[in-house]
Amino acid sequence: MSTLAVIGHVARKEIRQILRDRRSLVLILVMPIVLTFLFGKALETGELRQIPSVILNLDGSPDSNVIVTAFSTYDEVEIERQVATLEEAQDLLAHGKIKAAIIIPAGFMRQIESGEDAQLQLLLDGTDNTSAPIVEGVAQRVIQRYNTERAIKGLWARGVRPDRGLRLIRPVYVQSEIRYNPGRQYLSYVMPGVIGLTLQLLTVMLMAITIPRERERGTLDQLMASPVTRTEIILGKLLPYFGISVLNVATILFVADRWFGIPVADRLPLLLLLCCLFVLTSLATGLLISAVSRTQFQAVQIAVFYVLPVFMLSGAYAPIEAIPDYIRPISYLFPLMYFSRAVRAVTLRAADIVQVWQDVTVLGGFVVVFLYWAVLSFHKRVN
Amino acid sequence: MPLAIETTNLTRRFGAVTAVANLNLGVRAGEIFGFLGPNGAGKTTTIRMLCGLLLPSEGTACVAGMDVTRDAEAIKRRVGYMPQRFSLYGDLTVEENLDFFAGVYRLSRRQRRTQVLETLERVGLADRRAALTEHLSGGLKQRLALGCALVHVPAILFLDEPTAGADPLSRQRMWDLLYQVAAEGRTILVTTHYVEEAERCQTIAFMHAGRLIGAGSPDQCRAELGEAVLEVDAVPVMQAAEAVRATPGVSGVSVYGHTLRVFSRTAADLPRELEAALTSRGIVVRGIRPVPPTLEDVFMSLTRTAPDVERGR
Repeated sequence: MSTLAVIGHVARKEIRQILRDRRSLVLILVMPIVLTFLFGKALETGELRQIPSVILNLDGSPDSNVIVTAFSTYDEVEIERQVATLEEAQDLLAHGKIKAAIIIPAGFMRQIESGEDAQLQLLLDGTDNTSAPIVEGVAQRVIQRYNTERAIKGLWARGVRPDRGLRLIRPVYVQSEIRYNPGRQYLSYVMPGVIGLTLQLLTVMLMAITIPRERERGTLDQLMASPVTRTEIILGKLLPYFGISVLNVATILFVADRWFGIPVADRLPLLLLLCCLFVLTSLATGLLISAVSRTQFQAVQIAVFYVLPVFMLSGAYAPIEAIPDYIRPISYLFPLMYFSRAVRAVTLRAADIVQVWQDVTVLGGFVVVFLYWAVLSFHKRVN
Repeated sequence: MPLAIETTNLTRRFGAVTAVANLNLGVRAGEIFGFLGPNGAGKTTTIRMLCGLLLPSEGTACVAGMDVTRDAEAIKRRVGYMPQRFSLYGDLTVEENLDFFAGVYRLSRRQRRTQVLETLERVGLADRRAALTEHLSGGLKQRLALGCALVHVPAILFLDEPTAGADPLSRQRMWDLLYQVAAEGRTILVTTHYVEEAERCQTIAFMHAGRLIGAGSPDQCRAELGEAVLEVDAVPVMQAAEAVRATPGVSGVSVYGHTLRVFSRTAADLPRELEAALTSRGIVVRGIRPVPPTLEDVFMSLTRTAPDVERGR
């Protein structure tokens, strides 16, 4: 038999064993779907579109209602109702019922008219560091709009037509246009990371225990006594798990497309290529762990120590630019970083292979290096 | 006759412990060679070196004409190995295990089919071919393990305690198989604790504390024993053993049921001296007679007189 035939022979044996272990098989096939769904749903709420808020109008003048109405035109805040007292607003905030209270102080409108220093007050829940700046931004825009309108009206009263008045005031608006991911949805940002983490978690764990399991059961002894080569064992073990992982890639992409609105279909071949390459890097990592572990327990331990830092350091949840300079080099050691960067480019700005070729190359490099390393660390002579 | 296995000063150390020390061994092609010795004597370590699983620390070994250090992988194609511990896949069937091991020995699909069938018949597992291996009894597992070591038709078989824990019937069955295999001209090196199994070998070698302390055919071993054996029938037997042990000229005593086996280098006057010593203590002596030594006697005598290997060189 040729080397290829022996690899196939070893792979067939692995497949038999996998298929015979029904409980694990179900777990292997169902867990990715469940995990992707759960992770995705958990992070979906991180996307704060409407911040629950109340308004306390202590001014009460007819003009102040213009301000109140202005707030309700912004999508970012949801004015649940108006409250009557400061205590009520504070109470709601303290109980986490609302994230912000907008307070129009007594005499606010009069102060504006008379040109005094008028101050709108915001009570914000600082424990939620994402919603506070958003409310601040909305309040600023409301006041700016009110001021502009007031100035134009003032000029009109002095005989200046509104269009000329607008030119006189020349209000400055910052017009920013967000190019990619226009809704700036956190979910679409983080979903590639979630896909990567799910794929990696399973494959590393599954692969890591395969060789120590044979070692513990004694079957490795019998295998080592035969002329089968290290490469034949390693690749024979890799193949079936690669097959399973491709199945998982398909289901995960399906879940991402159906339930989380990630545009998978547009760039399916490229996404499949990225996922398969990434899965291979994870399998190779698992095999490397497998080759150096004496027991299954040890293998799982090492796998956990590998998978955990990946969560934090690979830019799956947040851009790696947020990681301090002296730690960031570690991020470049994780294939997940290149994978989520590339998938993000593909799903958020419809990048093609030319735009992500660097990441594709690096992932390919990881596969070759890790596999080679695994073969080298796996000794046929035992001590 | 050419030598199938030959070792020269074969030595293996694990850290400070010398598991095998300066082993010189010659196994002729086609013979059943028995390896005897207590646990930890270095039998398994020797076999693992001969199979190419373990590198020698010093010395050389040739198996099927090839050097174990240089040509380990080539040796693996020519030999079969049955480890001490059951090492087959419990979640594969009998037939799948045989087919898998035939495959890793690079047998083609056609060769595999005929070899697997033949081996199933030979080890008597044809009717259990579809059974999961983990459901087999101990004796059947051992036969399957032998089958897996045989399926690629090796020239040399290494069997590490192939009958450990087996009942007498299974053991008999296993030995019938081994004789068949040897009759085909294949060499078998087998380790065992059972002295009666050693009787079945053409050549036996005794190992103790990493050293070879005696070798030859069972008859040679018995003939060359440097001690005479006396059978002493006396009651009460335990007190008798104590008294015998204290008698000058006695080098060892073992209790066998109601009799004692007494080893001595100076046999001539011993029976009379023993009788005197025993009766003086009020022990009833029913008989003292010289007996031909058994292999067990040889083993006990050799183990007792062998110098311990100085460890931690």
